[in-house]
Amino acid sequence: MIDAFTLDLLRNYLLVGAALFTLGMLGFLSRRNLIVMFLSAEMMLQGTALTLIAFGRYHGNLTGQVFTIVILTVAACEASIALALVVVLYNRRSSLDVTLWQDIREEGVPAASPLQEESEAEPIEPVPGPESYPILTPAGIEPAHPVQPWLERRK
Amino acid sequence: MSTGQVILATLVILLGAGGSYLLLPHRHGATRSRNVHACGAVLASLALLGFLTTFFSPPSPFLAGLFFYLFSIGAIVGGLLTVTSRNPIYSALWFASVVLSTAGLFLLAGAQFLAAGTVIVYAGAIIVTFLFVIMLAQMEGKALYDRAARAPGSATFTCFLLFWSLLYTLGPLHPQQDPTASEGNGQQHAEKSLVRGGNITEFYQVNEQDPAAIALAHAQRQTSAMRDAGGAEKPDVAGLGESLYSDHLVTVELAGTLLFVALVAAVAITGPKRPIRPGAGPQQDAGEGGRRETLKT
Repeated sequence: MIDAFTLDLLRNYLLVGAALFTLGMLGFLSRRNLIVMFLSAEMMLQGTALTLIAFGRYHGNLTGQVFTIVILTVAACEASIALALVVVLYNRRSSLDVTLWQDIREEGVPAASPLQEESEAEPIEPVPGPESYPILTPAGIEPAHPVQPWLERRK
Repeated sequence: MSTGQVILATLVILLGAGGSYLLLPHRHGATRSRNVHACGAVLASLALLGFLTTFFSPPSPFLAGLFFYLFSIGAIVGGLLTVTSRNPIYSALWFASVVLSTAGLFLLAGAQFLAAGTVIVYAGAIIVTFLFVIMLAQMEGKALYDRAARAPGSATFTCFLLFWSLLYTLGPLHPQQDPTASEGNGQQHAEKSLVRGGNITEFYQVNEQDPAAIALAHAQRQTSAMRDAGGAEKPDVAGLGESLYSDHLVTVELAGTLLFVALVAAVAITGPKRPIRPGAGPQQDAGEGGRRETLKT
């Protein structure tokens, strides 16, 4: 009996799964935004799920799909806990930057200096329009209590 | 894997790595970032084209092949743009494209229930992520942490080294016409052409008392096979339910427990704090003090 799902088809699926896993890993390692890191982790799970389903189909077995259901469950749990953590971390530091939490890094890893990161960041190119209007220096006497932006008032 | 294929794989990986390195947000000397992005996009699309044409074998019916290519391009391009977008809103949108494409691929692989389930579960997840982005992120990707990737060079190197090794291992998977042709190298043929689940026992001539044989028989019970005893294909949802509630009952219970524990954890982590009212005494540290107080009452 010849199965319609050939080895070549299986290889196609495995390659797409490998590409998704690699790209997710790239995002998790290199991006600094907590939300983008969370999305990259979910993408790695997607790549693995694709691999499992293709293997299950190849062997004519439903266990691969059961594994994928477990992966979906774990992804849902991960999403809830990760987003709860994002809220807590944001309330502490008012930013989504992971580098602000580098004091819990591994022993022996050098700390990233903010000045160097500023120099390595991509320059902002203002698009023509309201963004590129000149910024005027504020005039008048400065009030006694400096007005804090709302983000800093949450402590 | 022949030498030519290894060279091709290395070339494709190098192109892809260069493209994604250029697309990741960080400063590239004095060149304008728009030119760098165009360059990176050209390199990455060349790599994708090479990847699709040299390593994929087209599925046989035209329509299935068309949809397969459509969905895999959607998944890979969406994945790359999720990772490289400056604005987290665009990241979430491209991630939606990844999820829809993988759901399409699930459908092509015959997992209808999971295709629907993935779309439903991840649609909720993406909407919540969207709300978070709107609530928390600085818009338009102008924040420093969205414009500077952490160690983009070494991260790209690591990930594409992994990708290269995966390509190298998956490359030799080719169907052999007659796997049992000669006794001597039958094993080698089998490793290249991957024996299907149903034929493993007779192909490797596993001993009855072998623990591997017991595990094999356990894995290939009739309840978790895709075809019933007569050889007809089971309907997907019915087969999946049968397998899930007969062979994997403990797993279902564990998954339910896991969801419950995660729910409790999420509530405990974000637990509401008592608001600080004026005239209520000296301010405490909002994090620990507030938590301890709520626990006491």
